[in-house]
Amino acid sequence: MAFLIKRGSKKYPYITARVRAMKSKLMPREVYPKLMNMDIPEITRLMGESEYKQDVDELAQKYSGLDLLEHALNQNLARTYRKLLRISKDEPNYLITEYLRHWDIWNIKTILRGKYYGAPAQEIMDAVVAAGQLGYRQITSIANMESIEDIKSALANSPYYSAIADYEGGELSTIENELDKIYYSRLLASIGKSKGEKLSLKFIMTEIDLKNLKTLFRTKKAGLDKDVILELLIPGGMELKSRDLKKMSSLSWSDFLKRLEDYSYWSAISEVVSEDMTSLMDVEAVLDKYAIEYASKVSHYYPISILPIYDYMLRKNNEINSIRTIVRGKKVNLPDEIIRKHLVM
Amino acid sequence: MVDINLAEASVEQILANQRGLIAIGAGLAVGLSGIASALAEKDIGAAAVGAMAEREELFGKGLIMTVIPETIVIFGLVVAILLLFL
Repeated sequence: MAFLIKRGSKKYPYITARVRAMKSKLMPREVYPKLMNMDIPEITRLMGESEYKQDVDELAQKYSGLDLLEHALNQNLARTYRKLLRISKDEPNYLITEYLRHWDIWNIKTILRGKYYGAPAQEIMDAVVAAGQLGYRQITSIANMESIEDIKSALANSPYYSAIADYEGGELSTIENELDKIYYSRLLASIGKSKGEKLSLKFIMTEIDLKNLKTLFRTKKAGLDKDVILELLIPGGMELKSRDLKKMSSLSWSDFLKRLEDYSYWSAISEVVSEDMTSLMDVEAVLDKYAIEYASKVSHYYPISILPIYDYMLRKNNEINSIRTIVRGKKVNLPDEIIRKHLVM
Repeated sequence: MVDINLAEASVEQILANQRGLIAIGAGLAVGLSGIASALAEKDIGAAAVGAMAEREELFGKGLIMTVIPETIVIFGLVVAILLLFL
């Protein structure tokens, strides 16, 4: 009998049903236009009555106004992700852990950038999301360190050390690239052969493709050299294999656009892409939207797998980004039209 | 196992033997269908508890979904009753 119990769906039914219930508690689409018409105190109050209540209440003594919202959003995101880890077991837990290392990378980048520009530790901590393997305390202690050497030695035991080992201060772009590459190569290498893991692999490879597409658009637009572009791209995509990337990086802007028509992503971006486009904002928003729609689509194909969990994580992240976009936009008095363009709904 | 030589067995013995086989069949019908519905309910129950943990109002729906595979074992029970009493 043991084999009957052990095989099968491997703890997925519980976590997927729970995550779906959590997904139904995300902010509905209609709320965003309402948020656009509100002032920051009003938004804060609304958030204090929603899923963010606990975070807003907790932080209300320390912060106010925009800072309060910002911290509450970050804390809520970290808490949600940690909750996913807490309620999952075995394979899903392992896959979520690996995926969430993204936030370790994010935090290390934030700290290094902050140090590079001489930002105080408090300001660095504003942008930190303690959802990965590095805990909030650990990140705080790292952010409080003065010298790059101390930061490096604090991270010596982490898997990301090889990227920052040679860093002596100064330009960060190579380090950031290296970190991204380490993250994705670890992620791809960690995925095994079970069905859930294979689905996970497909999803992550698509994510790499979308990331590479964004990089290609940016670098092509800026007219960077082929070798520089290739350095920036992450290997291991789904449709854009290393060979395609190599070819694409050497093409001119118009040839690059023509070449894109061969890939399935073209149908998503064809409407906003043109040869004389000036801003990449639309393309990036469309690609983000494509990622979310893709996640939601595949999560319906395989309802009892890791995919609904990825779908939820993307959506939660998007919700937080959208609220932040609106609040930040309001703060600097951006016209509604521009804020709306940045929102991925 | 009792070895019965059918050529020498009396009518009562043969009838008793058949009743025994029917009882085994009835037992299998209930037992196997019970295992089947347990396997089906395992995942549904886990999912229902998961959904309920986030939204308590899903208790009613979760309960109904969980007991739907129960029909399998009821069919098994019906078959067993038919075997034993008809």
